[in-house]
Amino acid sequence: MDNLKVLCSKLIKLRVDHIVTRSAKFTVKYRPPHWYAPKVNVVKDDDLTQDNMQFIKEVISDRNDSQQELESPLVQSISHTSQQWLPTTRRVGLIARKIGNYPVWSNNGKKMQTTLLQVVDNHVIKYIPPEEFKPMLTTERNWREKRKLGCMLVGSETINPSTVTKDYCGLFNSVGMLPKRHLRRFMVSPEAALPTGTPLFATHFRVGDYIDIRAKTIDRGFQGVMKRWGFKGMPASHGVTKTHRRPGNIGSGGEKARVWPGTKMPGHMGNRWRIIRGVKILRVNTKYNVLWTLGVAIPGETGAMCYLFDTVLPLRKLKSSPPFPTYFPSDDLPVEYYDECVHPFSDPTLTFEET
Amino acid sequence: MSLAIRRTTELIGAAKWFLRRDSRVLSTLPEKVEEPPAELTSKRYRRRFFQNEAILETRHAYPEFLPDPNPNWRNSLREKLERADMLERRSQIDIPEFYVGSVLAVTISDPHAQSKTNRFVGICIERKGCGLRAEFTLRNVVDHQGLEVRYDLYDPTIQSIQVLRLEKRLDDKLFYLRDALPEYSTFSFDMDPEILPEGTPIPVNPVQVKLKPRPWLERWERQELKGVSNIEEHLKEKDRVRRELRKTPWEKYDLMKQYRKTIPIEDQSKIWAEVHNQLQQLQMARKKSARKRTFTTPKTQLG
Amino acid sequence: MFKAIVNKLNPLQLSCSFHTTACLNEVRLLTRLRVVDNSEIGKRAMSEGKPPRVICVYNKQRVGYIGDRVLVAIKGQKKKGILVGLKQTQKVKVPKFDSNNVVLIDDNGTPLGNRIHVPIPTILRTILKERTHAKGADYTKLLAIATKFV
Repeated sequence: MDNLKVLCSKLIKLRVDHIVTRSAKFTVKYRPPHWYAPKVNVVKDDDLTQDNMQFIKEVISDRNDSQQELESPLVQSISHTSQQWLPTTRRVGLIARKIGNYPVWSNNGKKMQTTLLQVVDNHVIKYIPPEEFKPMLTTERNWREKRKLGCMLVGSETINPSTVTKDYCGLFNSVGMLPKRHLRRFMVSPEAALPTGTPLFATHFRVGDYIDIRAKTIDRGFQGVMKRWGFKGMPASHGVTKTHRRPGNIGSGGEKARVWPGTKMPGHMGNRWRIIRGVKILRVNTKYNVLWTLGVAIPGETGAMCYLFDTVLPLRKLKSSPPFPTYFPSDDLPVEYYDECVHPFSDPTLTFEET
Repeated sequence: MSLAIRRTTELIGAAKWFLRRDSRVLSTLPEKVEEPPAELTSKRYRRRFFQNEAILETRHAYPEFLPDPNPNWRNSLREKLERADMLERRSQIDIPEFYVGSVLAVTISDPHAQSKTNRFVGICIERKGCGLRAEFTLRNVVDHQGLEVRYDLYDPTIQSIQVLRLEKRLDDKLFYLRDALPEYSTFSFDMDPEILPEGTPIPVNPVQVKLKPRPWLERWERQELKGVSNIEEHLKEKDRVRRELRKTPWEKYDLMKQYRKTIPIEDQSKIWAEVHNQLQQLQMARKKSARKRTFTTPKTQLG
Repeated sequence: MFKAIVNKLNPLQLSCSFHTTACLNEVRLLTRLRVVDNSEIGKRAMSEGKPPRVICVYNKQRVGYIGDRVLVAIKGQKKKGILVGLKQTQKVKVPKFDSNNVVLIDDNGTPLGNRIHVPIPTILRTILKERTHAKGADYTKLLAIATKFV
């Protein structure tokens, strides 16, 4: 009886009309990078006995503990002192979560809005040197010239291995790490390479430095032209009917009797990758690994993940050597430190001198 | 078996709902003194209840410690860091307990003024914002000219905030003072602070202001104000009919609306447990130093 | 009962279907101002109940902010003035006034009166100093006739 049921369910899933036909000129448009693997796994507990469940839990907690005790590989290797930072080198970035905004005051009494970014449990997963790194060719660009930047995979937030697929887990298992919720690649110079398992902290950046932040903007869905492009709309009265928020004319007649590509029209707004460049860091908390960045224009809503790296803006680039290749853990740092333009809340009240 | 389990979960859900509802009542009706439920007769429960109650009472004095209830903006770590910063600032200057309707004197360091300090006295007509964004507005009439100044509560240029008269009014916002006769918002700059004996509840000033004839800045008649006496004099029949039509008597039964506006009691007790001790310590330290000051001043005067 | 009220109101509602949100209280063209100095012309205009009207705001936005120069029509004449207090919502620590106040000046920046009888915001001191150039009009004379700063 049971077997019959299974058979029935299998038969229902079979669809005759689902046949893929390939044309003669079939080309692969996009293939994900080789380190990409599908992630989400649906756990089925039905077949597990109580003992086995217990055992799996134990194993996971053991591995978690061992992960916690992992020492930074920088302690053994001396590589972090041998290499020199140059203005052309590219360091690794961080994965952070946007956790909200609040104001801080500057030394001249002005209020500045800041965005808080928490660097959550970041570890280097893998480094692929430039010779071995061969990403999928997505554009027509010729990559024959020598590749100069290597690929560094950084993960953030350790998760339960049973919730992800075997493929995804295998990526981490091969280097002896637990799977992470967020995996991200950063292009780095070969001299900035880091060994697997190196923890990255908020102190990777210094106060007063400028960073670029890449994140997905807030998803606003299908929006009209007024919200999406800031059009003016049309008058509310004076005989206007049914076209108060519409775009109006979208093209002219004559020879070009069509809509030009790129015309601003209604459509899906938000949920796009955007980079905000040249954001200043005002304050760093070393205990919770939080960065305070100037301004509220960091894309994404509260709780969204964003990727931080050194800015590429020519006038705001790093002038002196930052912690290179990354911050080396030491105990002499204070819990919080501030940029010189910020007034710490623990300082006495601001007063202005008579001139 | 499964039915029974479902029953119990339902019961638990209902119990949780009741708890939340209590908290909402607590946070919306600050004046209500709650009696412990009759079932909690055992001593331990009773003590814990009162302790919790005492901690929760601080929410009236320090409303800005509660975060914005919008779930899209909540984050426990950010709120924690924000509270720590607020306490740091509070350790630097004394930010006293005050309410809408209290008369305050605020001294700020002002780069524009000649003496580089600026003092303003006025009645607090509004308090808003959560965390470090908290701000309040003072109103006064100087030389027959109405003035309003908005201040950030945690602005480091504020040198001192002094409560000259600690009281509440009948309404949560006193914007109607803008349309009232000027004597209701006139306060002299050299007003002496009125000291309340310790342990007395905050007095509620039952004064009802008189409005100037229309035009008004807002439709005060639709806002169910308790602190205005002569609103009916200025109304026409049309306004009364409109007011009846625009009334929303169902809103007080809108539980979802209340829920979205308030922080649940479980979250509140966590927050207050974190900051209550430090606030108490700060208050004690202030009291000690204030006592010392009162002892020293007469001596210098005698000498 | 309720229906009767609705029926009664229907024609009324049709006649007033425009929306009424809180106004911005901006000082722009044809705004009535209050003269707060004791110049002869200003006093007479205020006592007759014909307060001056803005006919030009000398800035790019054409909306007057604190310390901006305006041209006003007063008693059939054109006079220049400086905005010293605004009704619209101000920044933190800058006072918001219950009326839009103006002090009349001549082309050199010298006030027409010799006393201002309402408080003046302190931020005006910085703004007017910035606007004063060595050879142009000297607006800081206005600060000298103020009686009170807030």
